[in-house]
Amino acid sequence: MNPSINNSGAARGRRAVYVWLLAALAPVVFFLCAFVGAAPLAFGEWSTPQGQAILSLRLSRIICGFMAGAGLACSGVVLQALLRNPLADPYVLGISSGAALGAAAAIMAGAAGVYLLPLCAFAGAAAVLALVLLLARQGGVTNVYSLLLSGIIVGSICASILMLVISIAPIEGWHGITWWMLGNLQVTSLALLAFASALITAGFAGIWLMARKLNALTLGREMAHYLGVRSGPAILWAVVLATISTAAAVAMTGLIGFVGLIIPHLARLVFGPDHRVLVPASALAGGLFLVICDTFARTIMAPVEIPVGVITALIGGPFFLFLLRRRPGGWFS
Amino acid sequence: MNSAFEFHGVRAGYRERPVLEDISLKAGAGEMLALLGPNGAGKSTLFRVLSGLIRPVAGRVMLCGAEVQRLGAARRARLLAVVPQELKMPPAFTVGEMVAMGRVTLLSPWQRPSEEDCKVIERALVYADVNELCDRPFDLLSGGEKQRVLIAMALAQEPQVILMDEPTTHLDPNHSLEIMQIVERLNRERGLTVFMISHDLNLAAEFCRRLVLLDHGRIAADGTPSEVLREETLHKVYHCQMRVQSDPGTGLPFVRPDARHAAGLPGAGGAESGRAIHVIAGGGSGAEVLRRLAFNNYAGVTCGVLNERDTDAQVCEALGIRAALEKPFSPVGHQAFRKAEEMAAMAKTVIVCEVPFGPGNVINLKLAEDALKRGARVLVNNANLQARDYSADQQAVIRIMEMIEQGAEAWNSLHDMMRLIAR
Repeated sequence: MNPSINNSGAARGRRAVYVWLLAALAPVVFFLCAFVGAAPLAFGEWSTPQGQAILSLRLSRIICGFMAGAGLACSGVVLQALLRNPLADPYVLGISSGAALGAAAAIMAGAAGVYLLPLCAFAGAAAVLALVLLLARQGGVTNVYSLLLSGIIVGSICASILMLVISIAPIEGWHGITWWMLGNLQVTSLALLAFASALITAGFAGIWLMARKLNALTLGREMAHYLGVRSGPAILWAVVLATISTAAAVAMTGLIGFVGLIIPHLARLVFGPDHRVLVPASALAGGLFLVICDTFARTIMAPVEIPVGVITALIGGPFFLFLLRRRPGGWFS
Repeated sequence: MNSAFEFHGVRAGYRERPVLEDISLKAGAGEMLALLGPNGAGKSTLFRVLSGLIRPVAGRVMLCGAEVQRLGAARRARLLAVVPQELKMPPAFTVGEMVAMGRVTLLSPWQRPSEEDCKVIERALVYADVNELCDRPFDLLSGGEKQRVLIAMALAQEPQVILMDEPTTHLDPNHSLEIMQIVERLNRERGLTVFMISHDLNLAAEFCRRLVLLDHGRIAADGTPSEVLREETLHKVYHCQMRVQSDPGTGLPFVRPDARHAAGLPGAGGAESGRAIHVIAGGGSGAEVLRRLAFNNYAGVTCGVLNERDTDAQVCEALGIRAALEKPFSPVGHQAFRKAEEMAAMAKTVIVCEVPFGPGNVINLKLAEDALKRGARVLVNNANLQARDYSADQQAVIRIMEMIEQGAEAWNSLHDMMRLIAR
């Protein structure tokens, strides 16, 4: 019997071990990040009332970052697999901006309830995605590059509308939303954190369950069909799950770019193209990446906080350019 | 015999553009058949309809006794597998992972393949001869290896019917033969029904006992290779002249497109339209002239008399130019000359090349003289006349000079000749 047939080959085994290592790393990172911050917190102080307050603030923020990062990375994995292009991610395709606009509209309309906010974000994201898909479709064929291009443009338009809304909004405290646009992991409502986390977890589980189908879909829609996958419904489901994850993350944290782009790409390099490994690996890596970025955001210029979106963009932007220069699809072709 | 698939009056196509019209076709289980036809005839569409990717507008498509559109995706994949022409932008999966994907619908999300699955996958790898490539990344393989992996993927589905879209298009002769032998073995040993699109008529005729010829979305012919591969049929479908010969070894029809008689090209028409050209050559003096005429699509070109195995005779054979031939190293005899006379009589133009004339072939000049007399154009080469005349009493020089006096046009370079003839 050829040992590599049942996927227990050496390379795959090693990749699975990396995923477990990543999972084991998560609590360590959480622990370390919880003790780093603007307000000094010694190890002995965590039991004092003040220490506990700081710790719970930081922990909720860490969970928020982890969940948002995981959701964005999962979404990126799905979009890259479906579009068979490493440049796809929820931010580039405008889904994030659509979600942000939906969320902002909800806040403006005074409907910023715990459940309504993510739902409005989802509606905005879905509407933008539909628009982008429609724009990129020419003669029944969707060109990946026109898809990316229209995604970027529609995303920018959404961002501009968002800016307009913010600048004319009379309500006090709106200046905060500018900050939110650049991404902010400060938890405003524990209930929102819980609901968004539940949505992201559900999205992640659904995407992971589709792993084998996603594998087949990376061979192209037609090939997946021949292999016995119902391509149409599978693609629709995957897109819906990716949009839910993105919308939940955006409703919670605002616009954070590049996590959905670089994390799946790096994970693919390290863990290989098999989505059964790639999906959990990306989720873990995305979550940890955002938590670490946020820790930098909190501490680099403490007590001033830099928006976490700035940090991810500063790392992700050059990386994106590097990918573009390196010919898109290095590992896809 | 059980039927593998059936088309009943199928019409299908894409939005606003019907591609297939009234297709009725039935293949028994275990048949090996090829789908032929020019580009755009609807071959790929027929495959897409059969694999359930496109819903027919009218008619029914049955697969192993069940209607394709009613079959669940997983069930359909167990009955029918498709080997695509190529996999564009393949991701970095290893060969083993790719082949295991043939069982994607049978495996749960995380579970490892069962013993049974592994056996099937291993058998597929062995059958397609890719067992050693198992751990190699797919995208680093050669064309032939990739094609074999795609076949292994299809086999891992354990289908009853396998569709192959031009399985040998990008392969060299050796590898395409290898692929065809694998496919033939699958058909013979495992009773797999094989339906393949091919542009290689001869390969199809060699391996498939049944050919289906598609033209403009309709079935133009369906039967054994010798029933389908007929010159008139192929001419009608492919719009170019095909020569069908019988292969002496196998008795199978052997098809060769005949470029010289390609329809619709300038210069075509041949003897019927009175544009025929007769060339008097020999010893390689006419090779370049004949080639130019052929490549400029002058039709109805004839040549002679030549000696067999003469360079010019070989050129004629290679270019498909009719020639009157005499035995090697023999003077032009009566029979060969009569044949050449017939050819030259049809010609509107006779070209005399820079031939060395001797007692054996000087008689060829009579062809030109006769042509001149009946008013045809004669283009005669007058370069180095003295030096290449070995006939008695400088006969050739005298006769050629006479012809020029009587209106034959002289030329001494290929360029001149082509300009004269185009006039």
